[in-house]
Amino acid sequence: MTKTRNAARASGVVATVSIAALLVAGCTRDSSAGGPGADDSASPGITDDSISIGISSPLSGATAGPGSCTIAGLDSYIEAKNAAGGFEFGDGKTRQVDFTYLDDVYDPAKAVSNFRQLLNDNMFAYVGALGTPTNAAVMPIAEEEEVPQVLLTTGARTFSSDQDAHPWTTGFVPTYATEGRAFGELLANANQPLTVATLAQNDDFGQSYLDGLNEAIEGSQVKIVASATYEPTDTTLDAQVTELAASKADVLMSAVSVTPLQVGVLTKAQSLGWLPRIFLPSNTSTPGTILQPGGAAAYPAVYTPSFSKNPNSPAFANDEDVKAYNDAFQKYGSKIATTYTPHCAWSYAEGAVLDQAFQGMKEPTREAFMTSLKSISGFQAPLLLDGITVDTTTKDDAAISTVQLVQYDGQAAFKPVSAY
Amino acid sequence: MSYFIQVVVDGLSNGAIYAAIALAIVLVYRATGLINFAQGGMAVTATFVAYALTRVGVPVLLALVVAVVFGFLLGALLERGVMRHFEGGDPDTAVVATIALLVVLSGLSAYFFGYEPHPFPSLFPNRTIEVLGVFVSLRSIGTITVLLVVMIALQLLFRSTKLGLAMRAVADNPRSSALSGLPVSRLLMIGWGLAAALGAIAGVLVAPQLFISPGMLDFVLVYALASAILGGLDSPIGAVVAAAFIGVVENLAGAYLDFIGDDLKIAVPFIAVIVILVVRPQGLFGRKVTVRV
Repeated sequence: MTKTRNAARASGVVATVSIAALLVAGCTRDSSAGGPGADDSASPGITDDSISIGISSPLSGATAGPGSCTIAGLDSYIEAKNAAGGFEFGDGKTRQVDFTYLDDVYDPAKAVSNFRQLLNDNMFAYVGALGTPTNAAVMPIAEEEEVPQVLLTTGARTFSSDQDAHPWTTGFVPTYATEGRAFGELLANANQPLTVATLAQNDDFGQSYLDGLNEAIEGSQVKIVASATYEPTDTTLDAQVTELAASKADVLMSAVSVTPLQVGVLTKAQSLGWLPRIFLPSNTSTPGTILQPGGAAAYPAVYTPSFSKNPNSPAFANDEDVKAYNDAFQKYGSKIATTYTPHCAWSYAEGAVLDQAFQGMKEPTREAFMTSLKSISGFQAPLLLDGITVDTTTKDDAAISTVQLVQYDGQAAFKPVSAY
Repeated sequence: MSYFIQVVVDGLSNGAIYAAIALAIVLVYRATGLINFAQGGMAVTATFVAYALTRVGVPVLLALVVAVVFGFLLGALLERGVMRHFEGGDPDTAVVATIALLVVLSGLSAYFFGYEPHPFPSLFPNRTIEVLGVFVSLRSIGTITVLLVVMIALQLLFRSTKLGLAMRAVADNPRSSALSGLPVSRLLMIGWGLAAALGAIAGVLVAPQLFISPGMLDFVLVYALASAILGGLDSPIGAVVAAAFIGVVENLAGAYLDFIGDDLKIAVPFIAVIVILVVRPQGLFGRKVTVRV
């Protein structure tokens, strides 16, 4: 049932089609397209036995790895469920999910044209797309057309912090502020005077970490003694690290999103003889690509947030959900994503949340879908760490709003954090 | 004081990265009279060859040698197969063709190796030494040493060898050179080959720091072009001095000018570049072009 268009191979065709779709959408859009007020008739993209779901994520370009995983995990969940008979809906019907995915190369303009193309192909809802700039570009259109743009794979607060203002959009993964806050709480709970140096990307990504940290350490004995920022285009961050090292802070929060730069931070700080405890964001803390090349074992502790089980880890080999994921992924998802990033596990869990939303959906409309999606709480989705649950009922946070800190074990894995 | 020196040293090691690519730009400009945007693409492609070899266990130094040879052949082939069709035409067309080559080469690298950045083994030990409270990495020292050697070699090539003289003549005035019996096409081919070979050296030098990926040199290219132009575009020494200048000034501005900080520091050297070029349009070390009527 999956309609795939591998735009990496046929990007020219897709581009042409997108432009055509854009023109068609612009010329033929009629007022009923979004379906507001069409209370008793079904929304576009849903019939008695099928519903169509779309996504646009990077399948080529620098973010292709995580991008393909946001599709592969979701595809695995959907196709496995389709093969097992289909999804049960709250209106008593069972439907197959048509899943269409397009490549946007992390380019906002492309994401917009993909979104329009999907709409034109009768997409019911847009689910799980990766990327802050791309989703930010799509959001106003989703709002105008009243199409669900939900369970997005981005930690930016924009998509979750004010759901009354943006009723058609929700984020899935914990926000960057949540990650920063978790780290701040660890420090504040240490109940001792601690000095912190911060290095943050000069945009919403970095600022969210700082905000979260600041909220958590307010009124505690933890003080930020040095701060630096950087641009993602910088060639090295040596200068920033030198500046921060001069503070001799006990702790470094390195909210850096670029792999080589994060490795550079880890190597530079120790080369200056500065060995703070370090906090890394969840997306730049992979042992194989960041911690080992950066020699992170030299530091007294390296912390990072986590909320999902790693299906490749022997620790979870007997976990039922992990087994189900691995079977489904091998059968379906592995055709889309060749290497594992945590996004594969996240988007699989997201499929289960979507399933929940379908089960509570009383009418075949987008409004009913949004209502059902926003009333899930305490749901232990597969692959989420024990104790981390999905709660979509808050109006100002993503579907997952807690993380657990883990600590680098000096080799290729993480262990739980006891205390600072 | 040691903080000041540390900031300068960090700036110099950044500058070394810009200088590596700037030297290759200068070389191809001296040899062909063009600014070659494909320089970054050729360097990355050749570096990927070295990367593939190190992955199967070949020592870095040997991989570098193979990459240099591959780079030379690649550059020569691109000149012969693509650029030759634009020679003698509008130079602007040729420059656009080099941009097209950049895109194609990046795409090819990505096709074989993907877009994810990979760690690259260093030619030099990944250690730091401490001199009077200042920490310098052996990698930076090694990179700077190699660059200085390359710079001197290039200077000698263009100043003191017959080949260099002939290449300069061809770049300067291809038609007269042809009439004087110089093998113009072959010299251009050698020029491109040398530039790509130098790109391979530059790529292998900077890849341990930047991680190898098809876009590895995209941003460095901007700094490198600025360095090459500030240095005078035809002067290897100028390119290296200018690259060091940009690296150091950028870092000093970030460290000491609070109102500039890390956000705006990159603007400082570029404003300086504009001011210098207004005062001295031929660049720091460039020759003034005079046309006698």
